[in-house]
Amino acid sequence: MSVPPGSIIVSDWHRFPDSREFFSRILHNKKRRKFGLLEAPMMPPHMNVDIVRYKVFISGKTGVGKSALAARLAGLDFPKMHYETTGIETTVVFWPVRLKESGRVLFFRFELWDCGESAIRRFDHMLPSCKEQVDAILFLFSFTDRGSFDDLSNQITRITESSDRVVKLVVGTKFDLFMHTDVTESDVTHFQEVWGLPIFRVGGDVSAGLGEIAPLLNALAENLWHQDCMAASSVSISTPAALRETDSEIIV
Amino acid sequence: MLQAETLQLLCLTSTSGVPLFSRGSAKQLPFSIIGSLNGVHMFGAGHGAQLMSCETDRGSRVVWGVFQESLMLIAVSCGGGPAISELQLSRLLENVWNCMVLVLGQDELANMRNVERLKRELRSCYRLIDLLLERVSDEQGFMGDLTQCADCLLLSNSGLLQEALDSFTQAAESEFGCLLVHGRVAQATEKWWSRLSSQEVVVLSVLVHSLSGASSCDYPVFLPQGSPTVAIRLLSFQLLPGVHVCVLCGPKPSLYKAENELIGRFWSTFVENLRSCLEQAKHSTLPPSVSLRWDIQALLLINRESRRAVTVCPRVRSGAPSEATPLLSSGRRLELLRLFYTFAMTRYFNPQEASVSSALTTSEDFSQGFTHVPVQCYLVTDECKCYGLQSSQHQLFLLMDLSVPTFALRTVATQTLSAITAATGF
Ligand SMILES: Nc1nc2c(ncn2[C@@H]2O[C@H](COP(=O)(O)OP(=O)(O)O)[C@@H](O)[C@H]2O)c(=O)[nH]1
Ligand SMILES: [Mg+2]
Repeated sequence: MSVPPGSIIVSDWHRFPDSREFFSRILHNKKRRKFGLLEAPMMPPHMNVDIVRYKVFISGKTGVGKSALAARLAGLDFPKMHYETTGIETTVVFWPVRLKESGRVLFFRFELWDCGESAIRRFDHMLPSCKEQVDAILFLFSFTDRGSFDDLSNQITRITESSDRVVKLVVGTKFDLFMHTDVTESDVTHFQEVWGLPIFRVGGDVSAGLGEIAPLLNALAENLWHQDCMAASSVSISTPAALRETDSEIIV
Repeated sequence: MLQAETLQLLCLTSTSGVPLFSRGSAKQLPFSIIGSLNGVHMFGAGHGAQLMSCETDRGSRVVWGVFQESLMLIAVSCGGGPAISELQLSRLLENVWNCMVLVLGQDELANMRNVERLKRELRSCYRLIDLLLERVSDEQGFMGDLTQCADCLLLSNSGLLQEALDSFTQAAESEFGCLLVHGRVAQATEKWWSRLSSQEVVVLSVLVHSLSGASSCDYPVFLPQGSPTVAIRLLSFQLLPGVHVCVLCGPKPSLYKAENELIGRFWSTFVENLRSCLEQAKHSTLPPSVSLRWDIQALLLINRESRRAVTVCPRVRSGAPSEATPLLSSGRRLELLRLFYTFAMTRYFNPQEASVSSALTTSEDFSQGFTHVPVQCYLVTDECKCYGLQSSQHQLFLLMDLSVPTFALRTVATQTLSAITAATGF
């Protein structure tokens, strides 16, 4: 079950002036800053901003737009051409979030795992590797491909077990091609009711800025934080950040 | 992107001539022409002749290659674009084949039971093939696809990074590790050079470069010579934007483990060193301690033993007198360098490497008449002067200003060679 948006974190925080100094750390020349694995956004040490790391697996059939979504969320150039992803590729995305109750700011570090379907089929170690220590799974379908929508429930049951402690979100891609849409509004509503999972819509120009990706990234952050809080309270640790290895990395 | 319009690559089954894919040129060749290209090759084969290449008087060229007796690759370049030599096209075919093996493995390619399935699987290779097609007229100074030597970046102070790479590689349960900066090899473990073939090193560099957007990756790869039927894993990590470290390994460690347990441990203390590599790479593939004469327009230096190469194409000329003619565009200089390399290799230096590729056919009679191997050659054109020299260890190809007197070319070339090797140990 997912957490209602805005119940734990400040939604649309990127629109508020007090977020500017945090978002400026993930931007460079009005575009998204690229981070190497040895880097992270730098905040003045006295501000004491923790980085919390999560692994997110992007699942969906070939061509639905997994690689494009990873690029979109990271603000990288969009793959114009469809090339098969013939192995696992990960993309790191930093995202600042303000917790509602305490007012505390955290940098979420999502590592998005993307693996082509044929690689999963041909090599046995791919899927287990994507699922190792995974915190969240994004299930993708494309608004232009009815089959990918119909296959969603299959996909969810195939990849996850009910005992898994993972956040699950559904993302519909290519929403910009609404002229060709194969999936209607009522299909979407019906699915959300049956599965209790929210569906996010993405598509269109990447240059649309943070507003376009904020709802999805905020929902990821909120649900992951909630999941950690639940786990922490069951083992009675006061803050989930303590569960997460935080700043072993270098700051830029 | 002129190349995309003038260069086309076709792949067919060699026995029945069924088209499997075509890449490159936006305008596809008509089916009838593809059929004829296959037909003439078959006709030759039926008469015991192997058709390898042909050329029109307007500069168009076709090169054929059959691999593993199962697939035929045909490269077609049309006149009007930048000049592409026959050597370059046949190397292109070899590289494309090697990339196909790299991604799919030899069994998949040799096994023709199901053509439709093979067509589908071959799509996985498009990213690398398209990159190789772009490299034919590359303007960033990559030459490995032509020279079959790894494109390198020479660092001034590399001892520390070598140690870091060696211990990281070992911790990842591997002996094959490599550090790349913007697609050029800056450092590699001993086995990377000694046990991988140069073709493998070249296609692996291309693969890592093609993944440059990712933070890390785990790619199953087949090594065209070393492991064509059993996949091993290429793990690659983007330490800083533009800096990748990669290892070839077996089932362990998992990508997650390697990234979370090894990257920080082995590399976090080297952030500043890596940053200075990036800084150097911005200016040159040579360390700042090497200063070239201002009248050198471009150069390609090859270490023949380790099959490494460094290409230099200065962006500005420092120290040039005010009356000096402006530099040619870097795209043009690199094109000239590729042409001069091909010229010198096929006519004079004639190394085994080039003849193995069976690329050299028509222009060979001349050098066959020699009983000795030429070690130096030069060429004067209306754009620049070129000088090539080879020793048992090195080959140097140099493009110089027209203002350099022809009699001085040799001195400049030998001095340049010793200046670079003395400063870098290359
Ligand atoms: N118009 C539009 N095209 C998209 C979108 N997402 C992906 N694509 C295109 O769909 C194709 C397949 O996307 P890709 O991410 O490579 O698919 P994958 O196989 O799931 O990784 C590419 O040509 C993308 O440019 C989107 O949201 N809108
Ligand atoms: Mg993909």
